[in-house]
Amino acid sequence: MTIASKLVRYAAAGALCLGMAAAVSQPAQAQDEKYKVFLSMSYIGNDWQAEAANMVKAMAAHKSMADKVDLQVQVAGPNAQRQIQQINAMVQAGADAIVVFPISPTALNSVVKNACAKGVIVIAYDAEITDECAYNVSIDQEEAGRVTAEWLVEKLDGKGDIVVLTGVPGTSVDTLRTKAAKEVFAKHPDINIVGEAVGMWSQAVTRTELSKILATREWDDIDGLWLQVGCYTANAMQLEAGKTPEELLPCAGEGANGGRVQMLPIGTEVEGAASPYAPLGAPRISYASPPYSGGLALKLAVDKLDGKDVPKKTVLPLPIVTSETIKLCQEGTWQEMKDGCNAFLPSIVVNPGWFASIFSEETPEIGLNAALVGQPEL
Amino acid sequence: MSDTVAAKPLPRTSFLRGLRLSRHRGLLIAIAVFAALFLFADLISPGPISYFEVSYLSSGGATLAIAAVGETFVILSGGFDLSAGAVISLVNVVLASNYAMGDPDAGLFFWTLVGIGIGTITGAFNGFFVAFLRLQPIVVTLSTMFIVQGVTLLIMDKPGGFVAPSLGIYVGDAITEWLPMPIVLLGVVILFWLWLKGTRFGTAIYAVGSDPDAARSAGVRSSWVLFFVYVLAGGFYGLAGTFISGQTGSADPLIGNPMLLQIFAAVVVGGTVLGGGRGGPVGSIFGAYILMMVVNILLVLNVSAYYSTIAEGLILILAVLAASVSSDSTLARQLRDARSRISAWRGGRLPGQIGTAVHRLSLAAREAGAKSSSPLPAFRVRHAETLRYALPAYICFVVVIVVTQAVLGNAAFNWTYYNSLIVLSSFLAILALGQGTVILTGGLDLSVPWTIALCGILLAGMVKGSDAALIYALPIVLVVGCLIGIVNGLGIVFLGLSPIVMTLATNGILQGLALIYSGGTPDGFSSPMLRAFMTSKIFGITPVVFFIAAFVVFAVVLLGRTPFGRRVYGIGNGLRVAELSGIRTGRTLVLVYMLSGLCAALVGILLTGFSGQASLGMGDEYLLPSIAVVVVGGALITGGRGHYLGMLGGVLLLTGLQTLLAGTTLPYATRAILFGLVVLGAVIALRDRRS
Repeated sequence: MTIASKLVRYAAAGALCLGMAAAVSQPAQAQDEKYKVFLSMSYIGNDWQAEAANMVKAMAAHKSMADKVDLQVQVAGPNAQRQIQQINAMVQAGADAIVVFPISPTALNSVVKNACAKGVIVIAYDAEITDECAYNVSIDQEEAGRVTAEWLVEKLDGKGDIVVLTGVPGTSVDTLRTKAAKEVFAKHPDINIVGEAVGMWSQAVTRTELSKILATREWDDIDGLWLQVGCYTANAMQLEAGKTPEELLPCAGEGANGGRVQMLPIGTEVEGAASPYAPLGAPRISYASPPYSGGLALKLAVDKLDGKDVPKKTVLPLPIVTSETIKLCQEGTWQEMKDGCNAFLPSIVVNPGWFASIFSEETPEIGLNAALVGQPEL
Repeated sequence: MSDTVAAKPLPRTSFLRGLRLSRHRGLLIAIAVFAALFLFADLISPGPISYFEVSYLSSGGATLAIAAVGETFVILSGGFDLSAGAVISLVNVVLASNYAMGDPDAGLFFWTLVGIGIGTITGAFNGFFVAFLRLQPIVVTLSTMFIVQGVTLLIMDKPGGFVAPSLGIYVGDAITEWLPMPIVLLGVVILFWLWLKGTRFGTAIYAVGSDPDAARSAGVRSSWVLFFVYVLAGGFYGLAGTFISGQTGSADPLIGNPMLLQIFAAVVVGGTVLGGGRGGPVGSIFGAYILMMVVNILLVLNVSAYYSTIAEGLILILAVLAASVSSDSTLARQLRDARSRISAWRGGRLPGQIGTAVHRLSLAAREAGAKSSSPLPAFRVRHAETLRYALPAYICFVVVIVVTQAVLGNAAFNWTYYNSLIVLSSFLAILALGQGTVILTGGLDLSVPWTIALCGILLAGMVKGSDAALIYALPIVLVVGCLIGIVNGLGIVFLGLSPIVMTLATNGILQGLALIYSGGTPDGFSSPMLRAFMTSKIFGITPVVFFIAAFVVFAVVLLGRTPFGRRVYGIGNGLRVAELSGIRTGRTLVLVYMLSGLCAALVGILLTGFSGQASLGMGDEYLLPSIAVVVVGGALITGGRGHYLGMLGGVLLLTGLQTLLAGTTLPYATRAILFGLVVLGAVIALRDRRS
């Protein structure tokens, strides 16, 4: 099977050099058998990764794809070396395309270059691969940092003491976001960063780090929060400390569903809500690296295999939800999200840390069920 | 297993011959396993293995192999080096950030020397503290790891840059279509080792690793040998960093860090015995490639990602078991002991499997009575030593409080500060008992992270916000923790696996189980009561504070005032001696690991209460700190010395320090360096001044 597909590809490549006649025959032949697509993801012990993987699987299972794509998933753990090795092995196993969450944007370059040289399409989601032959699907991380920081400055009227929680140090995503945000804060001399900690993009770490900061400070000493992940936890901690929902600090942060539900006006009827996973009317801006990017990457890879034009770099629109645009979904179908809803019922999404930015105009194949259990839309 | 039994008498018939044979067998078995895996991979993959694949395989595993060679030297000398991964990252970013500034025409040779040079400098740093100040390698290299990580991030805070293109030669062909460059490089490494092994220094490494005192008596200048072992190891990490730079063409400040555990696994699979004196770097090279083949095979077989860590864990155990079957007289002896123990248990009433507390205590009391002839002074001496080793942590802790007061204010006279500190310390305080007891016996429990995570996930999944469910969920989870510990203990005692290998493998297996159970996304959340236990305040005091106070009393009594505690110290001071003095070492060791599993489960429960939910990676941050606090608190990593109160001081010191740093706006890189320096400073204060 793989040998056959290799032959097809060699034949096609050779024919491309000779003339256009063969170029027509390539997609026609490729339709006969499924594309062999691999997903190389990073650390599976993380809600975002699991969700993104579910959406890739759902995309592959959608009726428009199911008879075209044979998807295999591999996890590289947090180890870039292992991912290099896995991608090599995927190339050897006769991959037509490799969808990858790159653990390191640079370490994969040479292996990706080799994969490209063998005619494999490599497409990265969320983080980028810098080698020019790779395709990338991601948001503009600097924009994410800038927009959220500007929102916070505006909320505070350019004045106040804030706490900053960054992501995983040493990653491009964290560095770009934090740098862009700090540039914004630097323009406003009355904004003081009074505490800064490493949040590791984890709600659990957020609580530990905020507890450390609050060991020597009161909530009342702080005016605002810029957290890459953790507004949900920060709000919960404020409630525990005796604040009323009306007194919650403005918080710029991630797109966790718990945080989204907290943004809903107090008194909203929400099935399954229990404090702090409940409507609080929290002043928030919620953004995210959307987990649908993996699914979209797969779709683009198949488009490319079908012979369509795909841009090398797809910059996704930054999914921003503020307290003004928050809206509850009842079922979470793609159509319902298209109509503007962006938070999900706690009775369906039990885990408040679950990432809610799953809607894209480009991916009508996948909705809430895709992200939760890997089931595509009908 | 039947092979193990059959092969056992061999080393006994001729001790010397057995030892020599065994040394080669470790290597030979590693080679055989590699060859078998290679053939298996060839069998199941479509088409024959081409040159292209060989070339890719060789370059894919080379970084790990070279780094494992460096680590092998340290382990042969009886040490432990945690800085390997960090040094690889450092070399990588230095090569990339200086390429633009340096001479663009500088070639492969120059940049390789730079890489090796950086490695040797960090190695010399390690070596100085380990060899001349006689600090414990694990703590020194842990500090170095933090410091090097910080420096790496100061040089480059995100991936990028380019390294000299000439370094790309390393991943190319030596002879086109015939011999890939990485194989040549590894060949050079092996030749270097064959030369080194023949020198006085080569012999001295084994001598120091086998028995430092004997080596010293025989005229080996063991300090210098140790120093150069770390320098040499650093050089190899530097070479590995250079290689990976050539392989990737650019830099990533995080590239080496996750390789650390794999490096250990490679060394151990390659037949080198933790603790020193036996094994060799050639085996480690094959160990590295075995690990690599496993990944490839899992990929070809399309094993679900959830099962891959389980498969890797089992393979680690099997590989070590296969290599140690006949290779090592100590392990063989342990197996013999295990067999006699099993038969003794068969004759008895299998108390270990029932494990009722009452039964254990009554036995314990009788043994204690029999041993009470050991005189009182030993107790007093131990007490004085405890103070001597436990106090520095508390002194440093007071300094941290004073600095916190000076820098942030609102600390020293503020109950909220202490309350937060105790709540944050609670996790490590509990882990310190488990990990500490394991370390007191001379072991190490690396399965802590996923025991915590699995237990937390189980609890959240069962409780789902209901207080009533806690009644059955709590005991179930605690029992699961105990069972995990028992599995660890049985593997160590009866299979004769080294604690690091067994618990590392268990950790991987638990990770797989957690993934399968949760389907990748854990659901459920803690109940209101559990959350209140960790986060509410009654008159300004969080309930868990009372619990920790009681726990500390329990821990001190357990280790200091019970027969169990005395047996633990006995084992730590000498397994053989303990055995001969009538301690049932096997049973005690199983209990020790059970205690560690229980403590980790408790932490999983408390963390779930603290965070409100459980997450998959929730235990990852607690492994290295759990070891660090035990050692900073004055315990000896090789066992036998330490007091729980000292460990508690270590917990308070590290938590206090982190609280101080979190209140500042220092960049993470600086914090990592400071953290490393403080840990190093603390152990310098604990330095053994004897001889």
